[in-house]
Amino acid sequence: MEFTVSKAELVRELSLSQGVVEKKTTIPILSNVLLEAAGDRVTLTATDLELGIRCSCPARVKKEGAGTVPARKLLDYVRLLPEGDVNMKFLENHWASITAGRSRTRIAGMSRESFPELPQMPERIAEIPVKTLASMIARTSFAISMEESRFTLNGALLLTRPEGLTMVSTDGHRLAFVQASIADSGQVEQQFQALVPKKAMAELVKLSDEAGPDGKVIFAGDDNHLFFQVGHRLLMTRKLTGNFPDYQRVLPKDHQYSAKLQKDEIRSAIERVAQFADERSRAIRVQFAAGEVKVFSSSVEMGESEESVNTEYEGPTLEIGFNAQYLLDFLRAIPQDHVSFELKDQKSAGEMRPAGDNVTDQYRYVVMPMRI
Amino acid sequence: MDAFFVSVEELYDPSLKGKPVVVGGRPNERGVVSAASYAARKFGVHSALPLRTAYKLCPQAIFVDGHPERYREYSHKVYEVLHAFSPLVEMASVDEAYLDMTGTERLYGPPLRAAHLLHDRMKAATQLNCSIGIAQSRLVAKISSDQAKPNGVLWVIPGQETAFLAPLDVRKVPGVGKVTERNLHAIGIRKVGDLAHLDEAFLEQRFGKWGMALAGKSRGLDAGGWFDTEIGEDEGPKSISHEHTFMEDTTDLALIESTLSRLCEMVGRRLREHKLSARTIQLKLRYSDFSTITRAHSVPRATQIDTELFEEIRELFRANWKAGAAVRLLGVHASGWSEGDEQLSLIGEERHERWKQTMAAADRMRDRFGESAISLAASMRGNFRERTHENPAGLPGKKGSKDSSV
Repeated sequence: MEFTVSKAELVRELSLSQGVVEKKTTIPILSNVLLEAAGDRVTLTATDLELGIRCSCPARVKKEGAGTVPARKLLDYVRLLPEGDVNMKFLENHWASITAGRSRTRIAGMSRESFPELPQMPERIAEIPVKTLASMIARTSFAISMEESRFTLNGALLLTRPEGLTMVSTDGHRLAFVQASIADSGQVEQQFQALVPKKAMAELVKLSDEAGPDGKVIFAGDDNHLFFQVGHRLLMTRKLTGNFPDYQRVLPKDHQYSAKLQKDEIRSAIERVAQFADERSRAIRVQFAAGEVKVFSSSVEMGESEESVNTEYEGPTLEIGFNAQYLLDFLRAIPQDHVSFELKDQKSAGEMRPAGDNVTDQYRYVVMPMRI
Repeated sequence: MDAFFVSVEELYDPSLKGKPVVVGGRPNERGVVSAASYAARKFGVHSALPLRTAYKLCPQAIFVDGHPERYREYSHKVYEVLHAFSPLVEMASVDEAYLDMTGTERLYGPPLRAAHLLHDRMKAATQLNCSIGIAQSRLVAKISSDQAKPNGVLWVIPGQETAFLAPLDVRKVPGVGKVTERNLHAIGIRKVGDLAHLDEAFLEQRFGKWGMALAGKSRGLDAGGWFDTEIGEDEGPKSISHEHTFMEDTTDLALIESTLSRLCEMVGRRLREHKLSARTIQLKLRYSDFSTITRAHSVPRATQIDTELFEEIRELFRANWKAGAAVRLLGVHASGWSEGDEQLSLIGEERHERWKQTMAAADRMRDRFGESAISLAASMRGNFRERTHENPAGLPGKKGSKDSSV
C-alpha cells in the first residue's frame, strides 16, 4: 500500500481517533490505527472494543491496501512535520515508511489481519442536527454517574420518538432530562431507545465540533451497538446494558412553590459561598423566603459565607441543603438568563428549569437535597 | 482483671477452679487461644497461641468454647463498678481500664487505701479478682498492675518509676512486641534500664518516631500514640471491622457470601451503636496459602445499613475472588466516617429509609434478647460462633484504642 495525503488533514483525522485508542491495553493491536487506502481516500479506524471510530481524508493512492501502526506515535510524529504532503508506504514486514520533504522514518507496524473487525452500520433510525445532539449532551453529560460500579448509570438514555428526541441522565442524586422540540429533532424514522456510554458522548461532541453548525448526524443501532455518522466520520459504540431507572417516576408531577431567579446572580452567589462549604460534601444551605433567596455555607476549618439575591417567591420560608456543585452544573449548562427553582420541602427533590422567552425545548433538572 | 475469660467461665462452672483451662475452642479446632488460666499458663499456654499448639503443650487442660456474651456482660459490670468509683474511666480493652483518680483523696484517702477499696468493691460486685497498679502515668500503672498479678495491688511511688522499670525485660513495655524486642536484643538492650540509659537521639535515629516514644516509655512517661487522649475523653473508633476464619477452608460460594453477610451485620451493628456512617468499605480475603488481599471501595453515600454494606462487599468479593480458590479468612472493615451532611437519593430513598427503620428495630431486639435474636436470612448459613479477644459491641466507652475490632 502506498498513498500521499496532506499533513494537516492526516493530523486532524488522527487527532479524532486518539480519544478512542486504548492507552493502557493488554492487547497491543488496540493501540494501533488501521489505515486503508482505496480509491481516492485513506480511511483511519481505531477501537478499544467498546468504542470505534472511522474517519477518512482525500489521498492520492498509488497502491491500494491496508496496514496498522501505533496511533499515538504516528500522530506525535506527523504533527511535527512541516506543512505539505506526507507519503506513507507499507513494507513487507508490516512496517510503514513515512516520507515528507527531507524527513524519512520507518515506523513499526502490525499486520491488518490482527485488527478487530468492526460492526456494519444498519438502517438509519434518525437524522439529527448536530447542534441539537451536542446541546442535549452538554446539558446531560455532567449528571452521569462517575461510580463505575453503577454501570447502568454510566451513560445517558437516548430516546427517539415522534414527539422528538429525549436524553436523560442521572447519578442517583440528580437527574437531567432534555426533550428537544420536534422542529429541532430532525427526522425520526423509528422509535428507539438505548443507553449511550459517557465516553461515546464525549467523542460525539468532538465530532460535532468538527462538523460545523449545519451538520447532521445519522443515527442507527442494532441489538448491541449504536452508530453515529457525522459527515464522513463514523462513531460506533457498544450499548450499555441494564435497566435505566424509571425517570418518569423521578420527574416531579407538581411543585408547591416556585422561585424565579436571575441566573448569573444566583450562580455567582453560589460560586462564592461554596468556597466555604465542606470540601467533600460541598453542602450549602439555600433559604427561600418572600422576595429573597439566601445562600449559606460554613466549614469548621475555613469559616463561613452568606449571600442573598432577589427573587419572585411567595411560599413559606424554607431552608434546604444542597450540594453546591450539583446546582452549579446546571447553572453553567444553560444559555438562558433566568431560571426557575421549584420546590416542595426539605426532603423532596427540587427542580430547576431555564425560564424566560428563549426557552425552545424542555429541560428539567431534578436535584435531591442533602440532610444537613 | 485477672484471667478474665477463665474467671468468668469459672463462675458458670466452679469445677474449673484451679485447673488448667483454655478458652477459645476445642483442641483440634482451627483458631487461637482467647485466654488461659494461671494453671495452664505454667505450661506455656498463652492467648493468641494456636489451639493445637496449646494442646501439645498441655494435653490435660480443659478446653472450653468462648462465650463473648458472658464476657460482655461481665465487662459491663466491671465498667459500672469503675465508673461509680471515678467519673474518668478509659476502658483500654474488655478487661483493662485506666482510672484518673485526680482529686479523689478526700473521698477515698491515699492511693493504696483507695486501691484496696476498689479491689474489694470489684470482688463484691462481680466475684472476680483484679489487680491494680497505681502510678503517675498510665504506662507505669499498666506495668505495675501486671506485676501485681494475681489479685494484688502495687503502688509505684512518684519518683521511683525509673528504678521500678529498670530491672524489667523490655518486653514488659506496652507496645514492645516480638519484633522490637528482637531489634533491641540485637543492640544489646535487654532490660528497660538499658533502654533508659541510651541516648534519645540514637533511638530516634535507629527506630524513628517510635524510638522517641521508647525513650519516653523507658522513663515511665505516657509516650507514643496510645496515650494521645486524656482518660475519659471519648475519641471514638477510627475504623470498625470483623473477621472470620473458617473451620475448614472453603470454596462454597453460598457459604462465603453468607459469612460476608453475617460480618456486615456485625459491622453494621457496631456502626449504629457508635452512631457512625462509613464511606469506605473494605474486604479482606485470605486464601489457603495465607496470601491475603484487601480491596476497598468508597461509596458515594456513607452507610450504616447491613444490606448496603453487604452489597458493596459482595461486589468487591465477586470482582476479586480467584474463583475456585479456597478461602481461609474473610474480613469486613468500615472506615471514613461521614460528618453528618448526607446526600439524599433520587432513587431508592424510600427503601433506604425502610431499611434504616428495620435495622433500628433489629437493634432493639438484640439489646433485649441477645445478638443472635435476629439476623438477615442471607446470613443464616454463615452463622459462626463469635470469638472475642478485644472490646466487643455493647460496651460503653471504647476509648483510647485507634482501631476497634473483634
